[in-house]
Amino acid sequence: MMPDLQQVGEGETQQWAPNITAPVVLLENVSKSYGKIHALSEITLALSGGVTGILGSNGAGKSTLFNLLMGKLKPSSGSIKLFGTDPWKNPAPYARVGFVPEHEKMHDWMTAHGFVSLFARLNGLTREEAKSEADRVLNFVGLTDVAHKQLGRYSKGMRQRVKIAHALVNDPELIVLDEPLQGCDPLARTTIMNVIRELGKMGRTVLVSSHILHEIERITEQIVILHNGRLLALGNLHTIREKMDNIPHTISIGCENPKELAKDIINNDAVYGISFPSGDRLQIQTHNLNAVHRELPALIVANGHKVSSIDNPDDDLESILKYLTGGLAR
Amino acid sequence: MMSPPKKDNVFRALDRKLGAVTEFTMRQYRTKLSTWVILGVGFIAISIVVLFYVDSMQQEIEAIDNDGDSADWDGDGYPTGQERIYGTDPENPESHPGTFTPPIAPDAPEKWINEDDFDWDLAASGDTTAGYDDDGDCRLADSTQSQKDNNRNNIECDIILDYDEMRGEWSEPNSDRLVDEDPDEEKYAKEAIHRAFLLAIGKMGFVFLLGIFLPLFLATGLIREEMDNSTIHFMLAKPIARRDIFLGRIVGYLGIVWPYIIAMGAIVGIISGFAGPGESLFRFADLGMWMAIIFATMLATLVYGMLFCALGTLWKRGIILALPFAAWELGMAILSFNAPTSSILRFSVIGWSLNIIDAASLVVWPNMALFISMGMWGGGYGGGGYGGGGRWDNSLEGAGALSAFASDTGLGISPIATIVVSTLVLLFQAAILWLVGSAIFKGKEIE
Repeated sequence: MMPDLQQVGEGETQQWAPNITAPVVLLENVSKSYGKIHALSEITLALSGGVTGILGSNGAGKSTLFNLLMGKLKPSSGSIKLFGTDPWKNPAPYARVGFVPEHEKMHDWMTAHGFVSLFARLNGLTREEAKSEADRVLNFVGLTDVAHKQLGRYSKGMRQRVKIAHALVNDPELIVLDEPLQGCDPLARTTIMNVIRELGKMGRTVLVSSHILHEIERITEQIVILHNGRLLALGNLHTIREKMDNIPHTISIGCENPKELAKDIINNDAVYGISFPSGDRLQIQTHNLNAVHRELPALIVANGHKVSSIDNPDDDLESILKYLTGGLAR
Repeated sequence: MMSPPKKDNVFRALDRKLGAVTEFTMRQYRTKLSTWVILGVGFIAISIVVLFYVDSMQQEIEAIDNDGDSADWDGDGYPTGQERIYGTDPENPESHPGTFTPPIAPDAPEKWINEDDFDWDLAASGDTTAGYDDDGDCRLADSTQSQKDNNRNNIECDIILDYDEMRGEWSEPNSDRLVDEDPDEEKYAKEAIHRAFLLAIGKMGFVFLLGIFLPLFLATGLIREEMDNSTIHFMLAKPIARRDIFLGRIVGYLGIVWPYIIAMGAIVGIISGFAGPGESLFRFADLGMWMAIIFATMLATLVYGMLFCALGTLWKRGIILALPFAAWELGMAILSFNAPTSSILRFSVIGWSLNIIDAASLVVWPNMALFISMGMWGGGYGGGGYGGGGRWDNSLEGAGALSAFASDTGLGISPIATIVVSTLVLLFQAAILWLVGSAIFKGKEIE
């Protein structure tokens, strides 16, 4: 048996070309179970273009989904296609995919530039091409000045950016990021979010997983919510949220004089309860979040209140999950 | 970037993905302390054996008067051997060559030690008779015909050589009395110990010790460690088949191990070439042996590397799976010394690797079997000297060791054909294990 000298992959992949009519990512009735544990059940999903957030609490099946997409796991049933090709059987589609794994371990003895350029060669680039490609992607994530330092000396956020850089080699059409913001400092967070938004604007298909809603919210509006291995919701974050508006909500307002503000707000029909958790904070209960949010700014301005913050403490993943599962979550 | 791959030549194509995995693997090994510890331990282990060898080469081996004719029994100043030649009575002080006219001066006793060395070590195959009576004590004028030819082949003062085709070895030499009966122990022992050392260190030191333990510690984790560290994800997310990752990792491991084996072989080969016995300063003739030892070890590390890497991929504690294989191979190595023709050796890696060394030893030292047979015979009087000396056999020092380490190849074909067949079998084993290993890796679900 001769080794495959062209190194494009296996024999059948020599002439691999993406199926133009197929979606970038296509999952049909995909299930993955380990014995009796169902990590994913009957997921059907088609994605092409734009940034999509994969939301779910820990253990919801986000990583399993990504591992299936990256050909590391074989689905128990159903079919997965990347550009029309099954990634478990054929690694060729990865020529157009960049992947940022969630695992923290890296080859600490390599420099960022060495790491990115070496793995760029696995995309079929020559040494020279790989080096200039490494320069390009490290510049894209803002690491040019430290590119020749060893990875072992990098901060967590910098390592995360190196992983993203490595995934951007060869300008992939699909970029999969598994919890890219986890454990990052605020600066790295901002950089990474900007990079993801930028990729979305460039028309790439980006999948980002997170278990924190407001992280995703700042990057994308299109979300997929996974819960206990099931696809709970798919679509625009605001559409989902509007549906939630008619259930009880809490709004927390930080202001100088909560009592005065309460007097003005109590007249609103949507508000049915008020409390004062501290001297500079007012908490209101509503069953029409949208209506309150519509009228609140005008009310504050008209009466000259000094407001420092408006938060929706319920507006997190847990409350969305609770709503979507009819209170069964947790 | 979207265009299909350009027509590369083979080397450019290799330089791409497979080359990248290989280069990565080699650089990774170089940064690991454990690599250097393992290579260092191998170096120390081999060096200790070499030290023993060099020491034994420096030691003087006592010259033994096997036939006892250096002694002057009657005290007339003439050694027995000299008196025998001249026909005087070695046990009568009045009878000695000094009474001749003109008188013959007495020989120093040393002249009659090792005075009748082997003369049949270069007998061509097919020769049935060899030997020469250097000291003339067989060809004495007053000996009868039957005294000169007591092996009854109608040739005076010779040794009958009989190669037993059925048993594949030389029968005990059947010599006329007092032919080649006082061999040079030092010359024989140094040569025999040198050859035994080359075979022993080649088989046990290189093929077994380096050949099994380097792959055991260096190849078992090739894929497994990357899986355990979760760093394999970077590689798996690239458009490269797992079969090629497996191969690239193996080639990278060989890129560390093979140069090491070549360097070790060269170092030990040069030391033994200078320290070994012989007329010339350096034993160039041994070069073929060292090439065979290095070659056999390289093939062994290739096959074991594939095997252990596959076992490591199969199970987290692949080294536990590898140990029974290593034990099996040790058993086969021991078996190859005792029963080299045993067909069970065909189901091992080491059996084929050792075949290469044994076959090479027959090419480099064509008279090996006869040489061993000579040493075991020892001149007929025995290594312990005249009168027994308490030894149960007659063999010369070194003959036993050489006989233990030299084995038949057991294939029944010429040495060169043995090397070719063994090489092909080992390469076939490596190819099968590569396919099995990549199939295991390919079917492995990795989280």
